[in-house]
Amino acid sequence: MNLHEIDVAVIGSGPAGMAAAVRAKETGAKNVVILERAEELGGLLHQCVHNGFGLFYFHEDLTGPEYAHRFIEKTMDAGVRPMLETMALNISPDREITAVSNKNQFLKFRPESIVLAMGCRERSRGALNIPGTRPAGVFTAGTAQRFINVEGFLPGRQVVILGSGDIGMIMARRLTLEGARVEAVVEVLPYVGGLIRNEVQCLHDFDIPLFLKHTVTNIYGERRVEGVRVAEVDSRMNPIGGTERDIACDTLLLSVGLIPENELSLTAGVELDPVTGGPFVDGARQTTVPGIFAGGNVVHVHDLVDNVTWESEIAGESAARFAMGERIPAWAGIKLKAGRNIRYVVPHTISGNEDVTLYMRVREPEQNVRINVGDIAGKSELIVKPSSMLKIELTSEQLKKLGKNVTEVVIDCQKWGGK
Amino acid sequence: MTRIETVICIGCPMGCEIKLTVGAKGEITKISGNRCKEGKSYAPQEYKNPVRILTATVKTANSSRPLLPVRSARPILKRLLLPSMPVLAGITVTAPVRVGDVVVPNLLDTGVDVIATGELLS
Ligand code: SF4
Repeated sequence: MNLHEIDVAVIGSGPAGMAAAVRAKETGAKNVVILERAEELGGLLHQCVHNGFGLFYFHEDLTGPEYAHRFIEKTMDAGVRPMLETMALNISPDREITAVSNKNQFLKFRPESIVLAMGCRERSRGALNIPGTRPAGVFTAGTAQRFINVEGFLPGRQVVILGSGDIGMIMARRLTLEGARVEAVVEVLPYVGGLIRNEVQCLHDFDIPLFLKHTVTNIYGERRVEGVRVAEVDSRMNPIGGTERDIACDTLLLSVGLIPENELSLTAGVELDPVTGGPFVDGARQTTVPGIFAGGNVVHVHDLVDNVTWESEIAGESAARFAMGERIPAWAGIKLKAGRNIRYVVPHTISGNEDVTLYMRVREPEQNVRINVGDIAGKSELIVKPSSMLKIELTSEQLKKLGKNVTEVVIDCQKWGGK
Repeated sequence: MTRIETVICIGCPMGCEIKLTVGAKGEITKISGNRCKEGKSYAPQEYKNPVRILTATVKTANSSRPLLPVRSARPILKRLLLPSMPVLAGITVTAPVRVGDVVVPNLLDTGVDVIATGELLS
């Protein structure tokens, strides 16, 4: 394949990138490539050796590597060309990609359309400002996951985990199985950050203590972590004097959130939503730059891979249609506005004449609520939590009820019965 | 003599604390605390027979990858998770290995195999 004949270029080969590339091919794009900086396709799935992947997409309980394997086969069968060990360095607003690779050195090419599928990265200690010394033994949960599951090293023997995100809880179980002792999982919020399934199967199953409304206020140790100081926090998340206690440990893992990885998007002039940290996208997953689409964790951080796949299939299909000459006005249509207790809604705009699935997160946990999409649709929920993404499917029939001149629809989370 | 056992339902983010009243012979006489039907079928099963899929890794011999990810092909009893780890620690696999290949047959006499979830090319 000649570099100058590429129709769709996908950046990143995790679940988002593979789904987008396969769908682009299926939609009819001829030359589809995936740029992947690692040596193999699959992205982070390879280090997520636990199960819970694909329950909705495949109706099977797969591990990360198995989910990757299924999609690697689909990618190869579809005739997508992987460009491995190739790292995109820059994308210009007119879609010229600059990349470096081991095999081809320096590349410059301009595909007809691009799908951003770079995923997300972990918030690190620097972003948290924990006081104390700077010893070895402080890792993000994902780094520890790579050490244990891919490289074959145990990062420590006595561990405290700050943050109760899914990766943190999953690492609590992994570390315990591998013979380390997890002293505590410390969560600043009054509720667990990850899925209930992980709280039960990773923490309760192994009697790992969970301290809600607590945080780490100090790290001890010169060369290696020797302990951390943990304190209860008040409602404004400030440590409460007199509640401090020290926990001896040689390792501190951070599982305190994920951030969409958008350095490349910025080089292309793609506008980012300060709430999600990802590009503004329309229903077709087109960003504010025509011909540049995005899907998966680069748009907003998901809790289930199945949704990453579905969302990226939309991006892949749209990118193929664009490459074949169809023009979708960039980021136009009806604006979706996050209303009461809604932190964000993706996509940010919809055309109003196609079936669409809305993804959203709430700001605060609430019980017995109804999520209203303007006055055309709604969904009741017993409970909503920031950690669980909500999904509402709208049909074009329902959307017709909006009428012609509507430019904005508010999504509200209302106490059940109230309005 | 009856006693109360608690099971947390994982069916949805609600995470209902479901109370099971258990009779002398281990029979469940009452279920409460579930906010929907799903919890009613989940709780007795989770109480009587808590099972989990074991996921871990094993060492490799002739490969650039030090580890191969594995899983139990089916769920095993929850209490067998930790005792399974020394079995896996004693295993070294040799490439080639394909996804689904049996790595440990009949783990701890459960009748469940441990299978590869990743690939090792030779
Ligand atoms: S019982 Fe129903 S409402 Fe409660 S956690 Fe289970 S599925 Fe959710």
